[in-house]
Amino acid sequence: MILEVDGLKIHYSTRAGAVRAVDGASFAVPEGRIVGLVGESGCGKTTAVRAIMGVLAENGRRAGGRVVFKGQAIDEATTRKLLWRDIAYVPQSAMSSLDPVYTVGAQLVEVLTKRGNASRSTARARAAELFDLVGLSESRLADYPHQFSGGMRQRAAIAMALALNPSLLLADEPVTALDVIVQRQILDMLRDLQQRLRLSMVLVTHDISVVAYLCDEVVVMYAGQVIESGPVREVLARPRHPYTMGLRNAFPDLMSDALELVPIGGSPPDLSDPPPGCRFAPRCPFVLAACTTSAALIAAAGKQTHASACLRDDEADSLRKAAMDPATWQRSSNFAMS
Amino acid sequence: MAERAEPVLPVRTGWPLLPVLRRMAAMPLRDPFAFTGLLIYVLFVLVALFADQLAPIDPLEILFTKAGKLAANVPPSLDFPLGTTNLGRDIYAQLVHGTRSALAVGLSAAIIVAIVGTVVGLVAGYFGGMADAVLMRIADMALSLPFLPFVIVLTGFLGASTSNIVLAVALLLWPNSARVIRSQVLTLRERAYVEAARVTGASSWRILFVHIAPNILPLSFVYAAIAIGWAIITEASVSFLGFGDSESVSWGYMLQDAFSSQALSRGQYAWFVPPGVCIILVVVAGFFLSRGYEEVFMPRLRGR
Amino acid sequence: MKLILERFTHNALALLAVTTILFFMFRLMPGTPLAAFINENLNADQQQAMLEQFGLDRPMWQQYFIYLGNLVQGEFGLSFFQRRPVLNILLEVLPNSLILTLASLIIAYIFGVLAGAWLAWKRGSWIERVAVPAVLATRAAPEFWIGMVLLALLSFNAGWFPSGGASSPGLAYTNNWQRIASWDYLHHLALPVLTLALYLQGLPLLLMRSNMLEVMHEEFVTMARMKGFSEWRIVIHHAARNALLPVVTAFALGVGLSMGGNVVIETVFSWPGIGRLLVQAVSVHDYPLAQGAFLMIALVLALMNFVADLLYMVLDPRVSHGRKG
Repeated sequence: MILEVDGLKIHYSTRAGAVRAVDGASFAVPEGRIVGLVGESGCGKTTAVRAIMGVLAENGRRAGGRVVFKGQAIDEATTRKLLWRDIAYVPQSAMSSLDPVYTVGAQLVEVLTKRGNASRSTARARAAELFDLVGLSESRLADYPHQFSGGMRQRAAIAMALALNPSLLLADEPVTALDVIVQRQILDMLRDLQQRLRLSMVLVTHDISVVAYLCDEVVVMYAGQVIESGPVREVLARPRHPYTMGLRNAFPDLMSDALELVPIGGSPPDLSDPPPGCRFAPRCPFVLAACTTSAALIAAAGKQTHASACLRDDEADSLRKAAMDPATWQRSSNFAMS
Repeated sequence: MAERAEPVLPVRTGWPLLPVLRRMAAMPLRDPFAFTGLLIYVLFVLVALFADQLAPIDPLEILFTKAGKLAANVPPSLDFPLGTTNLGRDIYAQLVHGTRSALAVGLSAAIIVAIVGTVVGLVAGYFGGMADAVLMRIADMALSLPFLPFVIVLTGFLGASTSNIVLAVALLLWPNSARVIRSQVLTLRERAYVEAARVTGASSWRILFVHIAPNILPLSFVYAAIAIGWAIITEASVSFLGFGDSESVSWGYMLQDAFSSQALSRGQYAWFVPPGVCIILVVVAGFFLSRGYEEVFMPRLRGR
Repeated sequence: MKLILERFTHNALALLAVTTILFFMFRLMPGTPLAAFINENLNADQQQAMLEQFGLDRPMWQQYFIYLGNLVQGEFGLSFFQRRPVLNILLEVLPNSLILTLASLIIAYIFGVLAGAWLAWKRGSWIERVAVPAVLATRAAPEFWIGMVLLALLSFNAGWFPSGGASSPGLAYTNNWQRIASWDYLHHLALPVLTLALYLQGLPLLLMRSNMLEVMHEEFVTMARMKGFSEWRIVIHHAARNALLPVVTAFALGVGLSMGGNVVIETVFSWPGIGRLLVQAVSVHDYPLAQGAFLMIALVLALMNFVADLLYMVLDPRVSHGRKG
């Protein structure tokens, strides 16, 4: 495993109290594989990934857990030398992630010379190479960020991330802001690059279809915790956690019989005061009394097996059948609303 | 990662005036700086109201010592808390009575600026077109006039009276508030609840005054608070230059008097320092309050 | 380039509006319409010359265009009390005002930018809580009052600086430039500049501070952190460079605004500049001189507004390099 996250907790101190954005997340990234980190907005996936980079907001701090990269435990202090050289980040909105007053080429050269010890001429040559790698014309190096279109900016962001040949790429919703056709191009490019350069990747997204298209493994997060993880085909075909089952209903497969779009009633809990026990319990159609007092947590990952943080994991198959029926969710949505 | 949230506006159709007024009234309670500002204002208003009780002497009355001599440049003492001017006038009395002039100038300028700026901003922003173009051109012209020189020329030729000064100040200050209010109206115009009101057949004027104007109110206050300070400083500057109203005693008049009477070389600090400090207090109070109202209008996400 | 033309026209039109307003203001002053340019002080020849120069016997609308034509040529008429061309008088004192303005602004802005950036870095500390109101107080104080206090303390009391004027009496110079470059001039310049700088630094300080606070939360700054750049590089090379943009344009605007506002400072320190000239001219009703001084100040204002527009266009790549595909 190139990356192991074990029981990670990230808390933000706000005037309203501590917000437990990530509260015990565990997952692992096998070397050379693409792991999708999926969940709805606010589930903590972006926070978790930024915490791996050791870059948090002023009021955030790691409140527990470990991050192990290439066998070494890392934290905010020790990540610095790894930043960009070994672990790189592809941001969600590439527009605001580049300094508007310098050309993109200048910013690439900056990374290559200041973090990569290249000489200016070597850096310029390498910058042209990188642009070529992501399918951008070399002449574009002299342009400013605002002169790029959305898709081009994302390519530039990827080129920037690959500048120092990192082993691990953390991509935060890299295609969310793009239209469908461009999305597909960028995803294809990512897969191609990943194979050629033998990268390991964590792909954060709220879109299951992206995960299905690109990832080898998937980790599902809910309310700051990892509730299911495993090989992508496995998890999507045979989900074991009720939340994942509900998610899957929300993304009907175009090929199969048209399922009705079944929303999961209710909304995620307030992370400054999360409920005890399983956090999905208030919305879960299969909830038991025990669910509200104790929660199963996926233990320190490291296996490519399919794990689920549900107390009723052994009944997964029958629950799954029930989950396919919209009526199940109807009842629970009434329940969740009350 | 935005620092500013959108204006907190009610989405109900209903008159938003009361909630806005409530928020504006509550604001000083949450913002310690604004609270201080309000306190300062209240203090000065009280002084102005009770000036006759606090300083029963006529500020322009020439005083004599018990020995019958002119009480000129007397240092601060129990009889004369801040001493006397070189013409034998009580400085403390001038300071206290000067409060009235300051507040009169400040408040009248603020009211005019607020009203004119708001109305122009509302009309230009909401109706657009010709009205907008004309009003904004006028605003531009007003902004390209050098501020103090214009006030000087106007009072120098039209006569040195407080109302002329207030007029000149108001003429030059309204464009700033009008512009900002106009751009806010442009945004509000596209809001859902305005659309809804339009669809249900409300007339333009009704939408303007019932739905949009109340939400703009905090902004008007922002600029009114700033205008009070500017007006007082301008009046002081104009008086200092000798174009002020010689009938009334203002803080600017005191400074001009001190300067031309060589108070500086005599080191008569008790004469010229207090008026300046009073001006600073009132203007800073205006700054604090205006920042508070700005917050009401456009709350920033706190905690950063 | 079209943008430049547009801004030029905009500012030129504003200047035109000001001159028009001035034209009507002076015509409507108490006294005869001739009073704007003719006065008993001038001898008969001079009076006749002015009559012809400004077409004072012609209808109003004709006078207006003659007036504009004269202005463009620098013909402002004759000063009633000095009985010589207004333009000459103005040009004599203009350098003093410019030097005062520029020196004060440069000092104020350098200090303000550095202090503002530093305060932004000290976010949340007690220093910030004390410093911000203190800076607001400097903006709340009338500039001339600051001048008075400094005069009393440092000139009359301590005797470190002269109490007024731009040069000591009795000194002779071969030309203007030598005079300006002399120690005596600088000695006289010191207090006025100190006063103005004290008053003016508040704006760049607060502006820079608020810009830095905003920019430090921008996504590209977080990205710079993720790339592992040193704090120094992030703050100076990326954040400050972005935060400075509005400050530079504010500087240009400040020059324009200061020329008008210096009136009071020049009076406190008897500094022979355009502002003081305006005040003197207005008090003795020397209309041509007053008009000329006012117009000169307005011209600098319009010019600097235009320069500010240009600077903004040049410095912000988002404006200077348009959008492409």
